[in-house]
Amino acid sequence: MKKILIISIILGFTQTSCKENFLTIVPETALSSATFFNKEADFQQAVNAAYVPLRSIVNDRAYLLGEMHSDNTYYYRNILFGATEQQEDIADFAVPTANGVTSNTHVLNNYRLDYQIIARANQILSQIDKVEFNADSKNNLKGQAMLLRAYAYLELVQYFGKVPLHLTPVTVRQDAALPLSTVDEVYAQIIKDATQASTFLLPKSKQEAGRVTSGSAKTLLANVYIVQKKWAEAEKVARDVVTSGEYGLMIGYENAFSTNTANKNNQESIFEVQFLEGSDGLNGSIIYNFLPRPMSPEELKPITGTSNPQPLTGEGNNAPTPDIIAAYETGDLRKDASIAVVTLSGSLRANKVFPYIKKFAKTHTLHGNTGNNWPIYRYSEVLLYLAEALTEQNKVSEAAPFLNQVRTRAGLKASKAVSQTEMRNAIYQERRVELAFENKRWFDLIRTGRAIDVITAYGNRIKANPVDYYYPEGAIPRSNAFTNISLLYGLPADEAALTPYF
Amino acid sequence: MKNTITNQSIKIFVSRWVITLILFIPTLAFAQQQIKGKVSGQDGVPLSGVSVAVKGTTRGTTTDAEGNFKIEVATKAILSFSFIGYGTKDVPVTSGQSVVNVALNEDQQNLDEVVVVGYGTQLKKEITGAVQTVNYKELKDIPVSQITQKLQGQLAGVQINQTTGKPGQGMSVRIRGQVSVTAGSDPLYVIDGFPITGNIGAMNPDEIEDISILKDAASTSLYGSRAANGVVLITTKKGKAGTNVSFSTFTGLQEVPKRGRVEMMSAVEFAQFKKEYYEDAKQPVPVEFQNPSQYEGKNNDWYDALLRVAPLQSYNLSITSNREKARTSVVAGVFNQKGVVINNDYKRYSLRINSEFDVSDKVKMGFNLAPQYVFDNTPRTDGDRGTGILFNALHTWPVMPIRDANGELTLFNKFPASTGNIFAYANWVRAAGELINETTTTNLISNAYIQYRPIKGLVLKSTFNVEVLRSKFFFFNPSTATSAINVPVPTTAVSIRENTENLTWLNENLATYSKSFNNNHNFELLAGFTNQKFRQESTRTQADTYADDRLPTIQGAININRAGTFNGVQEWSLTSFLSRLTYNYKGKYLFTAAIRSDGSSRFGSDNRWGTFPSASVGWVISDEPFIQKFPEISFAKLRASFGVIGNNNIGNYTSYALINNTVNAVFGNTVSAGAVVTSLANKNLGWETTRQFDLGLDLGLFNNRVQFIYDFYTKNTTNLLYSVQVPQESGFGNFNDNIGEIKFWGHEFSLVTKNTVGKINWTTNFNISFNRNIVVALADGIDRVYGSFHITKVGYPFGQFYGHVAQGVYLNAEDLKNSPQVPGRSTVGSIKLTDQNGDGIITNGGDNDDRVIIGSPFPKFTYGITNNFRYGNFDLSIIGSGSYGNQLLVRHLYSTANLDGVFNMVKEVQYRFRSPENPGKGFYGTTVGGGNVTGIERDWMNSRFIADASFFTIKNITLGYTIGAVNKAFKSARLYTSIQNAFIFTQYWGGPNPETSANGAGNGDGGNLSQGVDLSNYPVPRTYTLGINLNF
Repeated sequence: MKKILIISIILGFTQTSCKENFLTIVPETALSSATFFNKEADFQQAVNAAYVPLRSIVNDRAYLLGEMHSDNTYYYRNILFGATEQQEDIADFAVPTANGVTSNTHVLNNYRLDYQIIARANQILSQIDKVEFNADSKNNLKGQAMLLRAYAYLELVQYFGKVPLHLTPVTVRQDAALPLSTVDEVYAQIIKDATQASTFLLPKSKQEAGRVTSGSAKTLLANVYIVQKKWAEAEKVARDVVTSGEYGLMIGYENAFSTNTANKNNQESIFEVQFLEGSDGLNGSIIYNFLPRPMSPEELKPITGTSNPQPLTGEGNNAPTPDIIAAYETGDLRKDASIAVVTLSGSLRANKVFPYIKKFAKTHTLHGNTGNNWPIYRYSEVLLYLAEALTEQNKVSEAAPFLNQVRTRAGLKASKAVSQTEMRNAIYQERRVELAFENKRWFDLIRTGRAIDVITAYGNRIKANPVDYYYPEGAIPRSNAFTNISLLYGLPADEAALTPYF
Repeated sequence: MKNTITNQSIKIFVSRWVITLILFIPTLAFAQQQIKGKVSGQDGVPLSGVSVAVKGTTRGTTTDAEGNFKIEVATKAILSFSFIGYGTKDVPVTSGQSVVNVALNEDQQNLDEVVVVGYGTQLKKEITGAVQTVNYKELKDIPVSQITQKLQGQLAGVQINQTTGKPGQGMSVRIRGQVSVTAGSDPLYVIDGFPITGNIGAMNPDEIEDISILKDAASTSLYGSRAANGVVLITTKKGKAGTNVSFSTFTGLQEVPKRGRVEMMSAVEFAQFKKEYYEDAKQPVPVEFQNPSQYEGKNNDWYDALLRVAPLQSYNLSITSNREKARTSVVAGVFNQKGVVINNDYKRYSLRINSEFDVSDKVKMGFNLAPQYVFDNTPRTDGDRGTGILFNALHTWPVMPIRDANGELTLFNKFPASTGNIFAYANWVRAAGELINETTTTNLISNAYIQYRPIKGLVLKSTFNVEVLRSKFFFFNPSTATSAINVPVPTTAVSIRENTENLTWLNENLATYSKSFNNNHNFELLAGFTNQKFRQESTRTQADTYADDRLPTIQGAININRAGTFNGVQEWSLTSFLSRLTYNYKGKYLFTAAIRSDGSSRFGSDNRWGTFPSASVGWVISDEPFIQKFPEISFAKLRASFGVIGNNNIGNYTSYALINNTVNAVFGNTVSAGAVVTSLANKNLGWETTRQFDLGLDLGLFNNRVQFIYDFYTKNTTNLLYSVQVPQESGFGNFNDNIGEIKFWGHEFSLVTKNTVGKINWTTNFNISFNRNIVVALADGIDRVYGSFHITKVGYPFGQFYGHVAQGVYLNAEDLKNSPQVPGRSTVGSIKLTDQNGDGIITNGGDNDDRVIIGSPFPKFTYGITNNFRYGNFDLSIIGSGSYGNQLLVRHLYSTANLDGVFNMVKEVQYRFRSPENPGKGFYGTTVGGGNVTGIERDWMNSRFIADASFFTIKNITLGYTIGAVNKAFKSARLYTSIQNAFIFTQYWGGPNPETSANGAGNGDGGNLSQGVDLSNYPVPRTYTLGINLNF
């Protein structure tokens, strides 16, 4: 008996003596940072993940902040349905803002999603040079990380102006918040990243379809230079894209956009956010956000073609306004490719016919699960960038062919614009209809200095005639509608609560 | 109608039982010699109900109301007299003797009682910490399945709430007002020295002999980094003298009283509301609501349809035996409870075998084995809107039929969109009846020890404990039903299977040496080391889209859900050294010091070991001559203790930075794996530290007829584990860190009085506790953390309700004009909130809006009172427990007072504002204006959601009758009837259970910052039972 006791005590001591082993237990079902970022495949995966927040940005937020926050679209007012003020505030230019801060959730979410891209890119860029592997593939990975970071900062700086500029990963709690950087500092970083990315990245013909390319980098640079009114620089990079031979307009405007499974990353596509139908969580559902309500399954089925259409309730968004509908010239093939109408039997309105955005409504298999991609940059935009850069340098006749390429495809005659001002306005008009519902309108209005005037007039039209803007008879816009027409969104309140810097 | 049926069925049930019991009692048999006598107390008062047994036989009787008894005995016999509260007395009967009169002594109030403490036992008199014991025998017959239910109202400083009526679930136990942000607040349960990792709620209460609750740091510090929430020590039944066999059973019926349920609109009232809604909005009234009286007699009470009167039964057989060198105890139990929600079924089969062998004079070995099987099928009753069927049932339109014209349950109800029916409602009765949501758990707790006493005073003990738990969860949602709102039926059938296996082992090696010098200086020294390891493996498979609901196999599914199919591992290890020194001088001056050092795998690699010391002193003043001059004072002791303890419930891998490698991207139509760093590493992560001080007084007066215990404590918890929110510009949402400080303090009183002794025996046990806390600090730069509807703010108590103060509605245009408004949303008749920041408008969100603290989920005090009466063979006990000054957030109001008529509503909404001329009761506002207007009052947390949840509940009333020995049939028997949850006295209007307290959605904290939310959980039934205990 004594022996047993002694043995068990010795056993106990032995266990205790190797206690550091006994006490070290690493997670078995998750990788930890100690073992990650040490081979090419790890960085490949990290780069892939840096693309992921884009899905949520375009599916859930960008159309609110970039399109419905303009005279192109409005919401389909449903007076029976509450908890919609977050979207309504954006469309009504009534985002509650105090001391440069707003509690709007869509603003918050878009902000956080952009910083997710940035943090993931920073993680890659800070570690990748510590690991040896093939220089070409390393450059391609670095280029992607840089360009995604540049894209995220471009969104941020256009929405918010001054933002924190994170370029290295955060490792301790105290570094989580940074002071706001100036707009110039942010743009300088975007240009630096995009310029470097344009040399690191592969051209479209050599890159895996769906990833960013050197052409994407140059287009983003053109975008930045246009915003900054650096016309010569914009001309140069846009021309590089045009002369690269990598891109061309699709025949037929409607073919510029991917269907549920096909026509993705086509020759007109410079960068698009990738979706995949199915149960892997890689799908989109964006067109459901764009439909008027209440819509019965019978009314929905012709639009989506699914086997299991379900009723849509609540309040729909991104209703094409009478303004955008009127903006199409007679004979513009893009109008019918972009907008269609649907009749809702359950509507409270006398007029139960509603326009909706057709451009992205591609048939798919299951309700709420779409696979079509979302365009960020298309070749037609590069043509219009080039035309604009030339026009602003007073090379109007040189600009005209690029504008007319876009018009011809839309079934329109060549532009009659002759003077610089005429040509400028023609390009603005062309951008509006060519890029309608692609979340370009608000950025265009602010960069061209037209935002306040255009939106004020637009707000007055809604208030004067709400029924034209899809209000049920008797309903009127909320009393705060169009009371906060400002060029920038406030920074998110939830972030403000956590940072000492704003 | 329903009520009548219920009452009838109870009556039938009761009468059947009475008949059975009467038949069961056999007639008295013959004997050789008759003894008569009288039993009295020392004061000469006759004692009734004293059990009189003939030793070594099964024969016995009890005294009548005058203290008289009569019994047949053999010529030479020993009569044994025993009575609760009095000692046992054996009296030999000589041949020819016919009269035996006996005077029984009152128990010398349990001062010689031995109390189980951490890693040993102590004389109650000599304890220097705050250790609370309960007289577990008195709680034996409370007809519930969980130990913690029995303890409700019994313990000072321990708040025990039944948050849901689900059988076998939902007990919240908080010792000394414990809260933590993320680290969990449940006490550590230790069964026979083994800290268990499973669910204490599943343990058969009949296996228990004794319970001690360790409250202060001095008594818990030997549990080191797991001690901060307090420790509950459970000792199971051991073999006792002789061989005793007992069988106990009870059976009962449970029902949910009508009183206390949420009063919802009937079909007619609802239709009337809808009619008025459209009229007020100047819209055409949908045809369905033009004539509300058409729904007369067609009301559908969806909530009531889910409930039923349900039976429960319990059977326990226990055998204890003590033969020469072996002691054994066996307890076998069957517990079977149908829930009051249809299709709810809970069964427990349990066995415990405890054996001890004296191998030699110096060596002892012991083995305990306790296998158990629990089956639990529980409909998805609890949860917020859309998830819990009880919540869903509450707000389902009462005009929607539960059954169709053929009496079949409807599948699915949806009115045309023109009626404002936004959410489609599945049939919740089907959801309860057709969904399978079952868990079967098999577990085995085993303990083995060997004890060796090489020399006098020295004991070496080595234990090895293993707990194995296998749990199998199976969920099947057939295509015909769903528990979620707005999911059309037929729906996609889904199955989930989850298998979990836990293995915990603990090895402890302890040496105890005790020595006494001149009987004056008494020492005991304990030293030991322990190792414990826990590993859990789980596998989950989720499949959906079934061709046939009858075959819910994995292979029968068309689709395997990738996101819902995974396996997991959770593991931790703990190595500890512990020691305790106890010293007293003549049992009068007491001193104890203890220390434990814990190394834990959970702590960061740079902070692996924590040390937890404590010291305590006691002074038995009543042993001093100057007190002995006061004979009224029978016992008095002062205690003081201080110690440091920890809370290691911080998660197993929290200190590591983790990579999520399923953040996949798609390029073209190709899926590409993606990986993301999801958390930051913290090598310094450690336990939460609590420094606790306790001051106590134990007092016995009038020969201990009055016993009083008082404790004052303070606790300071620092290094709270918190997932500190960081700005997400960093790419991370949170950083796990030890931050902040919470201060707790409180007073606990308990009083036991023997009000009358003798013919009528009446004792009262009363306790009351006052617990307070305040947040002293959070992370640097952070002065507040928001919960779901709550705020935790420096300088205020933890987790307070946070929202607007409602002032009624804007009565007219002038009122609206002159009052602060919600810009763009307030109208005449809409809710009027208070402009707290004085900026002239009402805003919601951000740190400088108009929200303030509007209530607290923490009571000002909790209390319990138990009265026991005994008269002759009858005994009666009444147990009450209460709470005062706490509030609950009535969550269902965001649906049931949704003025858009989207859901069914509480009756009070009938008295809403309709026009300045017809302003209603001023509580609910106008329906005109839609969500933009009505959304404020339901979406913005405000004081209307807060309800006083003070309550006093008569937890249990038991009336029993004890019969003495009946020949060879049995030694004694007791019949009893009881009502559990007999009455609730409360002003609470949010639902039937003021004890409920779900957590809000949580903010990365598991909801701890958001306590006190009434999610319309499973109601706690009232239970009527009949029971019998037989001792053979």
